Amino acid sequence: MKRVIRSFLRYLVRRRSLAVLQLLGIAFGVAAAVGMTLASRSALESMEGAVDFLKGTATHTIARPAGPMEEGALAKIMGDPAVRFFAPVIDRKVRLTSGDQVRLLGLDPFLDRNVRSITAQIASSANSTGRDDAFQPFMLDPRTILVDENVAKTADIKAGQDLMTLQGPLRVVEVFANASGEPLVIMDIGHAQEFFRMAGYIDRADLVVTDEEGFRSRWSQGFTIESNRQKAQTLSSLLGAFKLNLEALSLLALFVGIFLIYNTAMFTVVSRRRDAGILLSIGASRGQVTVAFLVEVLILGITGGALGGIMGYFLSKFLVQIVGGTISSLYFFLRPSALPWTFWNVAGGILLGCAAGIVGSLPPLLELRRVQPVLVLRGRTASRSASRKMKIIGTVGLLCLALSLSLFLLSFLNVYIGFAGAFAFLLAASLFAGFAIVVAVPCLKRLFSCAMGLAGKVAIGNIRENLGRTSVAVAAFMIALSMSIGLSSMIDSFRHSLIWWMNGQLRGEAYISTKADVTVPEEAYEELKRVPGIGGIDVFRNVQISFRGKPAGITSIDAAVLQKWAQFSWLEGSDRSWDNVRRGDVIVSESFSLRFKVKMGDAITIDTARGPATLRIAGVYYDYASEHGVIMIDRSFYLTLFNDRTINSLGVFIDAPGPEKGRTLEKVRELSQKYGLPFATREQFHKRILGIFDSTFAVTRSMRIIAVIVAFFGIAGALMTLFVERQKEFGIYRALGFTTGDVAKITVAESIGLGLISFLMSTVVGTIFAYILIRVINRQSFNWTIFYHLTAQPYLVTFLTAVAASIAACAYPLWSVIRKYPVMQIREE
Amino acid sequence: MRHRFYVLRSAFRVRTYLLFLFFLVLVLSPGLCGGEWRQAEGPRQWSFPRDHGSHSEYRTEWWYFTGNLADAAGKKYGYQLTFFRYGLTGRPRNPGNPWSVRDIYLAHFAITDASNNSFHYTDRASRKGPGLAGAAERKMDVTLLGWSAIMEKNTIRLKASFEGMELKLDLIPAKPAVLHGRGGLSKKGPLPGQASYYYSFTDLKTTGYLKRPGMKEAVGVSGTSWFDQEFGSNQLTGDQAGWDWFALHLGDGRDLMIYKLRKKDLSVEKESSGTLVEPGGTSRQISLSDIQIDVLGHWKSQKTKGKYPAGWRIRIPSARIDVTVKPLIPDQELANTVSAGITYWEGAVGGTGTSKGKSVKTEGYVELTGYAGTIGGTF
Repeated sequence: MKRVIRSFLRYLVRRRSLAVLQLLGIAFGVAAAVGMTLASRSALESMEGAVDFLKGTATHTIARPAGPMEEGALAKIMGDPAVRFFAPVIDRKVRLTSGDQVRLLGLDPFLDRNVRSITAQIASSANSTGRDDAFQPFMLDPRTILVDENVAKTADIKAGQDLMTLQGPLRVVEVFANASGEPLVIMDIGHAQEFFRMAGYIDRADLVVTDEEGFRSRWSQGFTIESNRQKAQTLSSLLGAFKLNLEALSLLALFVGIFLIYNTAMFTVVSRRRDAGILLSIGASRGQVTVAFLVEVLILGITGGALGGIMGYFLSKFLVQIVGGTISSLYFFLRPSALPWTFWNVAGGILLGCAAGIVGSLPPLLELRRVQPVLVLRGRTASRSASRKMKIIGTVGLLCLALSLSLFLLSFLNVYIGFAGAFAFLLAASLFAGFAIVVAVPCLKRLFSCAMGLAGKVAIGNIRENLGRTSVAVAAFMIALSMSIGLSSMIDSFRHSLIWWMNGQLRGEAYISTKADVTVPEEAYEELKRVPGIGGIDVFRNVQISFRGKPAGITSIDAAVLQKWAQFSWLEGSDRSWDNVRRGDVIVSESFSLRFKVKMGDAITIDTARGPATLRIAGVYYDYASEHGVIMIDRSFYLTLFNDRTINSLGVFIDAPGPEKGRTLEKVRELSQKYGLPFATREQFHKRILGIFDSTFAVTRSMRIIAVIVAFFGIAGALMTLFVERQKEFGIYRALGFTTGDVAKITVAESIGLGLISFLMSTVVGTIFAYILIRVINRQSFNWTIFYHLTAQPYLVTFLTAVAASIAACAYPLWSVIRKYPVMQIREE
Repeated sequence: MRHRFYVLRSAFRVRTYLLFLFFLVLVLSPGLCGGEWRQAEGPRQWSFPRDHGSHSEYRTEWWYFTGNLADAAGKKYGYQLTFFRYGLTGRPRNPGNPWSVRDIYLAHFAITDASNNSFHYTDRASRKGPGLAGAAERKMDVTLLGWSAIMEKNTIRLKASFEGMELKLDLIPAKPAVLHGRGGLSKKGPLPGQASYYYSFTDLKTTGYLKRPGMKEAVGVSGTSWFDQEFGSNQLTGDQAGWDWFALHLGDGRDLMIYKLRKKDLSVEKESSGTLVEPGGTSRQISLSDIQIDVLGHWKSQKTKGKYPAGWRIRIPSARIDVTVKPLIPDQELANTVSAGITYWEGAVGGTGTSKGKSVKTEGYVELTGYAGTIGGTF
């Protein structure tokens, strides 16, 4: 037994190049899966950590349903017998001159220290560092702040220096430690009120409540009370789509990774059939040979898995940065830190490497156990038996396809079923790889023999002849390319839909601030109204509310202005719906309509500062602004219902001819500068939205790189194996008078042929995959319609990727050919 | 009501100043010089009830209540409720904004239940804010986050509650206010301005309700309370290590206040003294040389490792007083409060002895600072 295993392991050393390739194949597969999984986990944990850090010991928060709360409520909250502690909070954003946005918390250090350790820490750190003079300026000087180490590092400032914001400099009196990754600026609550021009108001109060029921009964009217549990749920559903995206990408990486490991392990076994045959014929039992194979696969699995675990850890560090960018642009500014190194990265990698390796080596091992040693000695499976096998594989493929279709039909139940369907589809497609080769070979043969003569013809013939090997390589490569096409087409279609939407809805000549940015003081709006040449101003306010226990958005707009200037696209209703909105009805976004199953004509009841209010839906419009759904209401009615005069942004429509227009625009720009507000022309505004869109899909795009790496190793492994196990054929080629150049040509042609077949197959599979992503996955997770838009770019990029990967993959086999072919003999004949 | 004031030398209640010092040094830090604050200099024209109110032109001020109570079953309780005002700046930057800081308000609240051998305390702090804290100028009306001391006609109403602790008391002065020092100007150092204005109600008949954590319902209580109000703008010099303060009600109607300021070099500050208030309300100062205090035992805090005296024999030969008092329960230490780690012992005491030859029961409050390490360091 030992001798058999030793003879196998000796082979690993002898065929170092192949062994290294196999090792790297497993390592990259593991790295892709581990890296993406770790990155998603880091990002999600950072987000939860940031929320926990700010929550402190608070059990509840109380706020108005929308907009700020009168500070007078605090004295009443103070007197409530159920309230143990309360702490007023102003929670807003401030834009730095560098362009970054940071969260600014207005807190009262006296009340807050009972709730948050952060404020208690600040005071104690002030005296432990001996800088007693930090606290007094903080309390007395209006533009003083405490910044956390993240902000200090990013802005490169320290205590005593100024943090530059669009609303002027803020003096830093202290830098404090912040365990969460979210950059924070803290200001005294009184100063924050003045800074944000909200005298008499706070955003919310954080509470430690002892008797929830009693408290709720006294405060339910006109206020929103949220327990931490509800808050966590809100957050988790807010981040739901994003989480899903990350999970899907992790799964995808895992799928591709396992495929690569499987592929590699399969090659490992297949390429050793001949050795196994020899061992069998000299008396080794099948059991011994099987164990020897498994030991080899396990050694590769363990070393490759460990290496992959380490590589995956470093990959996650890189991916976390990209994911962090997405979180910051979509939800809140956060710099998630990668998870610390643990032994489990390696352990998980090894487990993955071994498990996938064993699964991959099972089919050839089972086959090995059945066949005669004499047949095995020939080195390869006869293509005839392979074609019989193809029928079985084809049948399994059809079953997979049927499964995926039925899963899609059930996908309305849960988005994960849709995901399962997508994976089943990819699996089915991979099983048809052999079939695709058989179909494609006649055409390719003609093409390659025209281009490269006999060498091309022989090469394509080889691909057909070694179906057992080549079909696996094509399957792996094809899946990688299909994913690339599918993801790119989906992103391009989405982008195209987004541009269409922006061109209809966001038609203002200029925009002052944005939804996620600093708020616009009302006097700026009043002043803007007096600028000559302005045809209309859309006063935009967006707040998150809770509707039927789920987060949703309510947006107040000027219906008359939008009716005149914007061009909404309607699922239900028409531009005439605006008339109803002006009379007090609302319109809702597509995602709102789908999420809450409401349609035009329905009435919805929302909690307002005046208690519940019932509103009629006058239309449903296409929208990509929020996947949580938006209720759009005219500002006049919003003010009555919510008593919230906050303005998030102003859309300016200019009603002046050519040269006048430029002057008006310039005046608007000056005005926003005067108030320290971000200004953007329509083009800039659209560009910024697209920028956010692109950063959102940065991770998805980076998955394509992983796909290419997988493809590369798939092809390279296949070629190497073909080269190694065809030594005898090379002898024949030599005897027939093939020169080294001819054989080199054959190798290149085989590689490009494999790449080409994979690419051709992926154009079909990838397009269907894109359609699945758009119609099933996206609609399920975001509740909005993306219009499929065919662009050539994904196909072109994928084609170039395929060619480049095939050429790169044949580099090493080619070098082996050039080095070894001249000395090859037909030793056995 | 006609007040008879006895001019007393010294007896400036430094204890509360120390609490402020802690807050200042550890949390707020004294950044401002005394320039913008009025100094306690020269005699003061007192006018009540106005002078029960806040004197915001002075930097620090406090209203200090302690009392010994008993319920119908004879179970003994003690309480402490203290409000502090500390002026951070004389001119708030934006007077229109209630958050714009002028003063910081702090309060300490403690309940002792002798029968249950338990002691509970808590504290809080806030700025004025929108109706969160404050002290009226014209009368005693000081509130902090729901706790309050409000004087209506001749009755002071105290209210405080937190997590099972609850206090609701009516206090009626049985003796007129006693002005300490020279016409209420209590000097605390040799230099001008090193002084404060200081008066007390030493005998307040007290009735009301009290609840400590663990009690199902509040119990009716009655007894005697002691009230000090003091305001000034200067801080102490740095050579003191701590002090022992006694406020005792003797069974024959006499009230005795003694305070002994301990210096870092272990000597006793010469300004240390006492005040004796007779049943009729007249009072006289007792000089340090006339006071003999023997410590009878000690108690060591497990929490802070501070070793406190825990039993005294106090003799005032000139007043023919010889009493022995000890804590109702040993642990009445207030440690690591919100006000940045102030640790001191303030507790109800009781005992027996003789006054003018007659045997008397004695009860009262004792305050001990500088024994748990931290206070001495800050001086």
